[in-house]
Amino acid sequence: MPSMAANSLTKSATAFNWKIAGQAGEGVMVSAKLLAKAVMRHGWQAFNYLEYPSLIKGGHQTGQVYAAAKQAYCQYRRLDLLIIFHQQGFVEHQDEIDARTIVFYNSDLIDESILKKYPQFKAKLYPLPFFSLAKQAASQQIAANVVALGASAYVLGLKRKVLSKLIKEEFQAKGQKIIKANLAALQIGHDAAAAQLSPLFKVTSKQTKQLLLNGNEAVALGAIAAGVQYFSGYPMTPTSSLMHYLAAAQQHYPLVVKHTEDEIAGINQALGAAYAGVRAMTATSGGGFALMVEGLSLAGVTELPIVIAYGMRQGPATGLPTWTSQADLQFVLRAGHGEFQRVVLTPGTIQEHFELTQQAFVLAEKFQIPVFILSDKYALESHQTMAQPQLSYALKRYAMVKEQDLPKDDSYRRYKLTRSGVSPRSVPGQAHGLQVTNSYDHDEFGFATEDAQLTKQQIDKRQRKLKGIAQAIPQPVLLGPKKAPVTLVSWGSTTNVILELLTKTKKVNAIHLPCVWPFPSKQFQQLAQKAQKLVMIEGNATGQAQQLIRQQTGLVIKDSVRRYDGRPFYVNDLIKELKLK
Amino acid sequence: MKLTIPKICQALSPTWCPGCGNFAILKSLQQAVAQLKIAYEDLVIVYGVGCSGNMADFNRVYGFHALHGRAIANAVGIKLANHRLKVIVVAGDGDTYGEGLNHFLSAARGNHDITVLVHNNQMYSLTTGQSSPTTDKGTATKTTPPPTGVIEQPVNPLSLALAANAGFVARGYAGNARQLIDLVVQAVKHPGFALVDIFQPCPTFNKRNTYQWFQQRVYDLTTQKHDPQDQKAALVKAQEQEKLPIGLFYQNEKSQAYHQQLPQLKQKTLKQQWQARRQLKSLLKELK
Ligand SMILES: Cc1ncc(C[n+]2csc(CCOP(=O)(O)OP(=O)(O)O)c2C)c(N)n1
Ligand code: SF4
Ligand SMILES: [Mg+2]
Repeated sequence: MPSMAANSLTKSATAFNWKIAGQAGEGVMVSAKLLAKAVMRHGWQAFNYLEYPSLIKGGHQTGQVYAAAKQAYCQYRRLDLLIIFHQQGFVEHQDEIDARTIVFYNSDLIDESILKKYPQFKAKLYPLPFFSLAKQAASQQIAANVVALGASAYVLGLKRKVLSKLIKEEFQAKGQKIIKANLAALQIGHDAAAAQLSPLFKVTSKQTKQLLLNGNEAVALGAIAAGVQYFSGYPMTPTSSLMHYLAAAQQHYPLVVKHTEDEIAGINQALGAAYAGVRAMTATSGGGFALMVEGLSLAGVTELPIVIAYGMRQGPATGLPTWTSQADLQFVLRAGHGEFQRVVLTPGTIQEHFELTQQAFVLAEKFQIPVFILSDKYALESHQTMAQPQLSYALKRYAMVKEQDLPKDDSYRRYKLTRSGVSPRSVPGQAHGLQVTNSYDHDEFGFATEDAQLTKQQIDKRQRKLKGIAQAIPQPVLLGPKKAPVTLVSWGSTTNVILELLTKTKKVNAIHLPCVWPFPSKQFQQLAQKAQKLVMIEGNATGQAQQLIRQQTGLVIKDSVRRYDGRPFYVNDLIKELKLK
Repeated sequence: MKLTIPKICQALSPTWCPGCGNFAILKSLQQAVAQLKIAYEDLVIVYGVGCSGNMADFNRVYGFHALHGRAIANAVGIKLANHRLKVIVVAGDGDTYGEGLNHFLSAARGNHDITVLVHNNQMYSLTTGQSSPTTDKGTATKTTPPPTGVIEQPVNPLSLALAANAGFVARGYAGNARQLIDLVVQAVKHPGFALVDIFQPCPTFNKRNTYQWFQQRVYDLTTQKHDPQDQKAALVKAQEQEKLPIGLFYQNEKSQAYHQQLPQLKQKTLKQQWQARRQLKSLLKELK
């Protein structure tokens, strides 16, 4: 089916879809990000999706930008402009072109005889010697990605000034010489394209206040806005760059970031820091979280606040390290021995990642529980534009006792039996606040106990928190028209694709779940009751949220579209599968 | 308010077996803390899970009874969040050199300013007597029955700590409380990672390394010419097997703790630097 992007090959374009394909180490991700930024600076929205294998040099990787004058929530398959550095690109991207797609191929590596091997690759093909042009302009081949950027900017009708400013900013830290070289590379790419064709269209430009960031940056920024002071974790795709971002931010904030010996230390150090009174966080993916599970249980019984950013990737085990998945939902819901409260937030857009992360810290502290931000490779490593948020955030502390309120006779009870289930906590350093934060079942002071009644009382106390939590979590929302023949249900990053789909059809609406635990049964049922037909869309093989909905509401959703090959959903596939056309 | 012995003893009374070495270690720790004159709210003890860790219920201080093996990790987080606190870890040999070995080595080489007291009874005692990483080769235990007993060589905690560049490495003995008090005082004062591995007889499950056994073997390091600033000499001393030296093996007096090397902790603790308002402006520039 022809997408918006297909219609866009006119002067009155409102969207385009662009991709660059190269090998690891050739900087294709950088050009994709810069192009997305350039588009943003024209007042458009952009979504920048990256695919790459788990290796450092070689392999095949791509950077993709879908840009639109109004909304851009995800990537598309069909391309308006494709840049191919290596022959492999003809094999990998054959299904993404049509007769109107413009393809610049790297004529340094690909000659006529090679082209003949791909007769079915029918597009408007233009040779461009990216590598030699890079050497000529910048005296190094690595600048080929900037040559590609120059050629692309020309074809897409982007303002040259915007691009050259971006180049200056990007290479500022590397000095004048490198800036000059890359500006030359940008120009030579532009000229080489201009010598062969005229621009497809002009991207009109307007003033907007936007940011371009990926999910990891949004979560990190949200954490900073929420007052995070301690992060400890162990690198694992797709959340490593979250730690990188926070590590760099140590310069600007009273924040300590510790790359620990393993994930077990990651969660346990964070819990130590939380105990000592600072807002603490960790981040990982499935394998790392498996190692943290005992620590999660510790957070449960000790009633310490902690935020866990969880980036799903395709498992089991090492799985597909750099590909997306939504298959760990039930694991996160069930992880940890014993019974205790938790919250599982499942943000969709990048903006929602930013906002829910802030909320995560408040929920964790208010209720003294672990709170998850459950996301995935797709959202965490894709860049998306979002409106610039406010610059300054006033913060409050919750459920902590003030030193002056501690009883002078040392009768303070850390795990006091309260109606809400939350017991205000003291922190070390406060006089008269002595307590044991205990992994054993304990009495109100925190001393270990095996007494049946005391044990039950504490478990009941922790259970009582549920009421307050249920009122504080973000509720399901209806997206799209109020009424539609089909209502889709999604959670987490998949909602991005649904939002995009909603810009293309009026035949569906959708329920998005920004929080799946505690499951917002009442609100969900209210929305679901109005649906004529429900279809669950999620990225796993067994319908994990579908099962959850049935378990929590009794509602059986019969239809579903599932994807579990490491790839995200595509709008056009959904249109086909849902028979919307 | 200063920590005094009655205060710290106000909790529950110990539930260890008669004759257990843990009693003497507990008393020594309490004496040491009293000598250190720390305000009692400024001390945190993080306990492992084991007989030794049960001490969590016998001290009236800020306590954190951790998971088995993880006390050191919690302690590092506590210290970095509020480095004005004195942080002591109380844990067993199984906890520290088995389940939690990675944390032990990492905290030592990171020179995190915590004091680790290992109640080394060469046994998993709380779980009723299985072999531990420090059980002597050939010892029969429930998990290493005859004819072989333990097949592995025991780890040498002091050598491990020295190899990881720990700045304070000592060995105490439950049968020498006077020296132990002194070692704990020095260890807590040391600005950086400090290990005090403590020979702790467990009359219930360790029938081999008894008080009598230790009495015949231990000797005070200070009775010999040993320079505690000499790391190499400490390594040699740590390897002695016939006779067992106790005392301070090594102290790096130029030690700079992890938190002392963090620019953001130069003036105040993290805890003190809580910001009631956070600004994002400087970060947003890069994303525009
Ligand atoms: C993860 C985990 N594994 C196993 C146990 C069971 N466990 C409790 S204490 C212990 C061994 C204790 O040995 P040690 O640390 O030497 O302490 P001791 O009892 O000798 O003082 C074990 C295996 C546990 N609590 N947690
Ligand atoms: S079992 Fe051993 S270590 Fe445990 S309390 Fe008894 S004597 Fe002490
Ligand atoms: Mg032991």
